[in-house]
Amino acid sequence: MKIIEELLMQFSLSVSKITDKIYTVSISKEKLRQTVVFLKNNEKLLFDFLVDIIGVDYEDSFGVIYNLSSTQFPAYTVLVKTHTNDRKNPHFDSIFDLWQSAGLYEREIHDFFGIKFINNVDMRRLFLRQDWCGYPFRKDYDPSLEVNHIPFSNEKLTDMEKINDGDSIFEKNDFVVNFGPQHPSTHGVLHLRIVLDGEIIKKIDPNFGYIHRGIEKMCETYTYQQLLHLTERLDYLSGSINRHGMCLVVEKGLGLEVPDRASYVRIIIDELTRIASHLLGWGCMAMDMGSITAFIYGMRDRENIMSIFEETCGARLMANYNVIGGIINDIHPNFQRKIKRFIPYMRKMLKEHHFLFTNNPIANGRMKNVGYLSKEQAISLGATGPTGRASGWSNDVRKIDPYSAYKYVDFKEILRTDGLTFDRYIVRLDEIEESLKIIEQLIDNIPSGAYVTKTKTIIKLPEGEFYQRVEGARGEFSIFICSRGDKYPYRVKFRSPCIPLVNALKSIAIGTKIADLVMLGGSLDYVVPCIDR
Amino acid sequence: MNHIKNIVVNILYLIQGMYVTILNFFRKKLTEQYPENRGKVFPYSRFRGTLVMFHNWKNQHRCTACGICQLNCPNGTIKIITKNELSEITGSCKRVLDKYIYDVGSCTFCSICTTNCPQNAITWETGFEHAIFNRSRLYKKLNKENSSLIKNGKI
Amino acid sequence: MFHFSIVLNCVDKFLHVYFTDSCVLFIDFFLVGIFILVFYAVLALVLIYLERKICAFFQCRLGPMRVGPFGIFQPVADMIKILLKEVIKINGVDVFLFRLAIYLVIIASMCTFGAIPFDRGLHVIDFNMGVFYFLSISSIGVVGILLAGWASNNKYTIIGAMRSGAQLISYELSCGLSLMIIVILSGSLKLSVIVEQQFYVWNIFRGGIPTIIAFIVYLISGHAETNRGPFDLPEAESELTAGYHTEYSGIQFGFFYLAEYLNMFIVAAIASTLFLGGWMPLHIIGWDLFNEIMDHIPPIIWLFSKIFVCIFLALWVRWTMPRLRIDQLLKLEWKILMPISLVNILFMFFWMMYL
Repeated sequence: MKIIEELLMQFSLSVSKITDKIYTVSISKEKLRQTVVFLKNNEKLLFDFLVDIIGVDYEDSFGVIYNLSSTQFPAYTVLVKTHTNDRKNPHFDSIFDLWQSAGLYEREIHDFFGIKFINNVDMRRLFLRQDWCGYPFRKDYDPSLEVNHIPFSNEKLTDMEKINDGDSIFEKNDFVVNFGPQHPSTHGVLHLRIVLDGEIIKKIDPNFGYIHRGIEKMCETYTYQQLLHLTERLDYLSGSINRHGMCLVVEKGLGLEVPDRASYVRIIIDELTRIASHLLGWGCMAMDMGSITAFIYGMRDRENIMSIFEETCGARLMANYNVIGGIINDIHPNFQRKIKRFIPYMRKMLKEHHFLFTNNPIANGRMKNVGYLSKEQAISLGATGPTGRASGWSNDVRKIDPYSAYKYVDFKEILRTDGLTFDRYIVRLDEIEESLKIIEQLIDNIPSGAYVTKTKTIIKLPEGEFYQRVEGARGEFSIFICSRGDKYPYRVKFRSPCIPLVNALKSIAIGTKIADLVMLGGSLDYVVPCIDR
Repeated sequence: MNHIKNIVVNILYLIQGMYVTILNFFRKKLTEQYPENRGKVFPYSRFRGTLVMFHNWKNQHRCTACGICQLNCPNGTIKIITKNELSEITGSCKRVLDKYIYDVGSCTFCSICTTNCPQNAITWETGFEHAIFNRSRLYKKLNKENSSLIKNGKI
Repeated sequence: MFHFSIVLNCVDKFLHVYFTDSCVLFIDFFLVGIFILVFYAVLALVLIYLERKICAFFQCRLGPMRVGPFGIFQPVADMIKILLKEVIKINGVDVFLFRLAIYLVIIASMCTFGAIPFDRGLHVIDFNMGVFYFLSISSIGVVGILLAGWASNNKYTIIGAMRSGAQLISYELSCGLSLMIIVILSGSLKLSVIVEQQFYVWNIFRGGIPTIIAFIVYLISGHAETNRGPFDLPEAESELTAGYHTEYSGIQFGFFYLAEYLNMFIVAAIASTLFLGGWMPLHIIGWDLFNEIMDHIPPIIWLFSKIFVCIFLALWVRWTMPRLRIDQLLKLEWKILMPISLVNILFMFFWMMYL
């Protein structure tokens, strides 16, 4: 796009392209805020979606990459790169007032790299314990047990709430309730600390890191084939999609051509994963609202997909099917027949689910008029996926930047405008229908031929930066790889679609009741391993 | 009037939901009664249950102890212990497999080992019953006692 | 026609042969007490089994299948487990009130249980104002729940207890008002009189539209009184873990569990006694042969099948509907059920006067 290039040229010296849709802008750290504000507010560009903030340790300096996407030209991405040579006391200007999502991203970088963001008052660690020594993503980090003993005591709650100047984020007389990490309905080990006034929620402070496994750090010591299996363990409910994304970025880096057969099958598997995830999301939300039967029905229908996975991929949840260059083995002879049987079954069951739950006046009364998320708020929070689409934000990566075989299929992006809980709920069910349509189009037309392109045993990505985004079941999942030509990546960063969702919960749940908080959590459908990574 | 109409419509919707549940009340039940139906249901043939090393009737396997699987395993699941064996024909020492140790406890079933094995010595089998009482039994020795390498690569 | 009163009279006469009057009275009390306790516990086990099985069937599952054929001994095994479990001592608990709460809940439920007429004469005590007794004694339970929530010294339990207090007290109103319809219809508060009156036609058919409305209102509010189904807010497990009884363990929790199931039974029993003819068989005026055949089925079976139908309905609703929110719950009571019940009483009055 010429217009983007011209405007970017205007105020910056070094604009380069990674691919034809991704631009990199390198600027000095003083000009950072100015550049970002320009990109965000320029009416022609409107780069107002902060996808992610990525921290990189370049050994001699610390870099921070702001990943911006435009709502005007959603297919285009700008990576604003800046760095500081000060390794002792690195600091950057904060942009937490420009985007609601920026605060948490900055906390994450502070946690991992020890970079301070000036003006951001809340610089607590995000994933690690507050008393952790050192910053693990620095290349000179000492992981030995002498530095960080294995702790035998719990982290103190008072430590968790202290922000920069020693104040607590709660007021003195607040009635603080710990919601999680062990709680029946936090969808994992999410720790929410909520301030209550009777039944009404006044403030929420999420607390992450209970299953932080350091996957991004682990990736730096793994070869590209090895780190594939970690991607499935991020958002385990859309594992195949994540793995697909990881394969795509490596293939992009290698310039590898994937056989058509592989990309068709990959998409079918992706869409099946999406259906399974949405069914579980539907069931969990129903269970959060007290309808346990609906949860079991969701699981029952999901079981059919799991059995298809088991037959073709060899595992039920961690399908482990995509490999670099294609798929691990050819589809099972029963694959097509089973899916063709599944589609009408699912349609029938979808109708039943609507009968059971969507039309139920109690469910309707609970879901309507609760949890309003405006389009502007959704963009500012970066709440992608069904949540954003329920607010009227067209952000489906499958549509705006089609990857794999998505360009051959015809489907509708489900958009609703109200942004209420009910819309988020209905978007999921409608997306199941759309996914069924996609599968229907592909299942009879899987081209014959090879299913995998042979790669070298040791894959070395050329030096440079690689970026790929895919549409996970919960929103945009993107992978950024910084390579130095080694067989190990230099830095891998996953954009978790779930952090913005918890952040969204923070703002939309204020003023609602406890019962609504649980339901809103269900409607946003976050997965905690994806947040904690 | 509208109020009453609303109530009636809502009651109808409630009955609709109850119709769905009573429909399921009489449907076939899905519960698998696992230990009772043991031996009647099997996972699909591709299911990655446990790693096995193929042995033929002469108690011979194909593993040359090259160590590629050990190198490729992301979790350090596989440990290959070799020994030197004197060859009778040439009279020279040769490195052969002594113990192939596989730790189910740390395996993530990513199947990099099986796809990368140049000899196709190890494969997946569908056995899924890994639950045991003693953690040390998670370490399995895949090659059988007194097994040897297949000659000429033939089975 | 066989009635249990015959057996009871026999026992009474038998005792009179050997003992003095006061002694017999004492032994009678003792026997009745034991009988009620045992029956209460056995019934709870049956109900737990029923609930688990029916719930499983609604959810395409099989439910308990391991202990005994079709898992019928599962509740027994559960009971043994719960009896053997340690009762955990919790710091910061008001011990006296913490313990008292359980007894209040279980006593309230047991006292109500005693007043149900199971058959002609099979009645622990036949009050002149039986309906009134039901209403008053069952509301003691709410005190127990409030105490349990407060004494546990836990934020979740106090929220659960507060919800429960608001809920039970509100729903008692429409519960009572809908029972008043029957009192108007039969002109008596005495349960045995009310049941005997339904010999020809059950109350629900006798009273016409007002009684049908009252029956529905009673089912909804009675369901809410038992803290189940869409009204299980006090113990909403997805919100408050277990509500007011979060901190109870072992047999203490077992008491709450027992009371919960028996309350379900009691509500169903009251509904069938007052609206569906109690232990009276189904009689249709004019169909003499049919009535004759119906008379041959023992009354206790009639009562229990009616109760079972009500319980099944409650379970069906419970395993279909999502939970209400607290404001919707109160809105349903104060804005819908309560006005309906009040208008219904007027309606009933006109029905009685002019029809």
